[in-house]
Amino acid sequence: MFDSKVVRRRRAALAVFIGLSVVMLTAYFGESAGGVFHTLQRGAQEAFAPLETGTDRALKPFRDFFGWFGDTIDAKGENDKLQGEVEALRKRLAESETATRDVRQLRGLVKLARGDGFPQGTEPVAARVIAHSPTVWYSSVKIDKGSGDGVEEDQPVIAAGGLAGKVTRVTDGTSEVTLITDGSSAVSAQVMPDGANGVVKPELGKPEDLLLDFIQKGRRVTKGTTVVTSGFTASKVESRFPKGIPIGRVSRVDLDEVELYQRVHVEPFADLRRIDVVQVLTSKGRPPEEQAGVLAP
Amino acid sequence: MIAGPGAFARVALVAVVAVILQLSGLGPHRIFGVQPDFVPLAVAAVAIYAGSVAGAAMGFGTGLLLDLVVGGTMGVSSLVLSAVGYAVGRYREVRDPAHGLMPIPVGALATLGWVVAFAAVSFMLDVGASVSPLVLRDMLLTIALNAVIALPAFALCRRVLRPALLVDPLDRRRRRQAPRETGPLGLRGLEI
Repeated sequence: MFDSKVVRRRRAALAVFIGLSVVMLTAYFGESAGGVFHTLQRGAQEAFAPLETGTDRALKPFRDFFGWFGDTIDAKGENDKLQGEVEALRKRLAESETATRDVRQLRGLVKLARGDGFPQGTEPVAARVIAHSPTVWYSSVKIDKGSGDGVEEDQPVIAAGGLAGKVTRVTDGTSEVTLITDGSSAVSAQVMPDGANGVVKPELGKPEDLLLDFIQKGRRVTKGTTVVTSGFTASKVESRFPKGIPIGRVSRVDLDEVELYQRVHVEPFADLRRIDVVQVLTSKGRPPEEQAGVLAP
Repeated sequence: MIAGPGAFARVALVAVVAVILQLSGLGPHRIFGVQPDFVPLAVAAVAIYAGSVAGAAMGFGTGLLLDLVVGGTMGVSSLVLSAVGYAVGRYREVRDPAHGLMPIPVGALATLGWVVAFAAVSFMLDVGASVSPLVLRDMLLTIALNAVIALPAFALCRRVLRPALLVDPLDRRRRRQAPRETGPLGLRGLEI
């Protein structure tokens, strides 16, 4: 069907494309964050940001229309679940109000300073999600706020009342947020109220089910308890997330006789599959000593 | 395919629209828990209409753009999509498919190649987290969803590429069909 020249040219073209891809792959892993390919990525993201923002807004009505069908199907099951939660939360509210009153009185006694932000000393900057990563192997979103709005790398990001991730790349007008469901994410966390410490890691393919690892068997973790960021500072590793950001609720505890640690399953508060708006907890007006460090990534 | 600035611009347009739709448009919306993947469909459509070299070039370009805009590991998407584009293009050159429903299996197989090869490369690059078996379910559902949307996606790509195509497989199919109303009454169907 083809003469040998055509066949050679065709194979050469494929070899060039594959070779270029492998070279890029190797170079990308070898270079630092300020390298050529990382800089190119930042430039491309900045260039495409207006196009992505426009497309996102233009097609939102279509997404909402299609989403309406799925939401209606999910609504019934969710309604039953929420009614049960309301019951539980009513009981907790009563306990919480009592505890709040106690805390207020105790604060007055020890004269603790209290900031206005959430968590203490942070200033939330609301941002719209303009792009989502297309595969389960990376879990990141792009938002329409950047360094011009006070966003910096490693700042925590929350969505719908729960931790969503942290800022990993910033351009002038956009930022990339690596979600806590990304394979490279690990967040130091604490189970409330007993304070058992562990690390929240994702399980790829199950964004609604995080794993709280490294909880020692002796510590009792029960279903329904809340998991928050611990914001710990150790000698070598530190958590970049401030203390007290809610992550999710314990949904299951696996007790394996062989394992040294318990495997605690956590259902995140934020719906990380469908987030349209997030808040970046910027550190404006925050004392530097309150900013903690980072645990991978 | 006619090589030239016009053809290049048309292929580039398909690539950019596919990537933008995937990241910001309808891609993020989930249907039955999975999201459609326009990128392999666009690469497969260009490859099936324009051949293996154009398919591999489209795959490389689209992958490069995807890696740049998403911020993922550079080279992974372009590596996989170049191979997918080349394979689909070779299928067209060897088997010369012209059936009207050809986009469905081609779109499904291209998506299968993309998700499986991407997963394999991701594993080779050391995924830093445990992997749920649900990833497999998501892959299968994405392939099924892409098979459903393959017909309109291929038709749209064909419409954009058509002025730059030397041979259009669907036009060839139409020419092959026997004219129904030719010849006198008693000789219908004999193609006289």
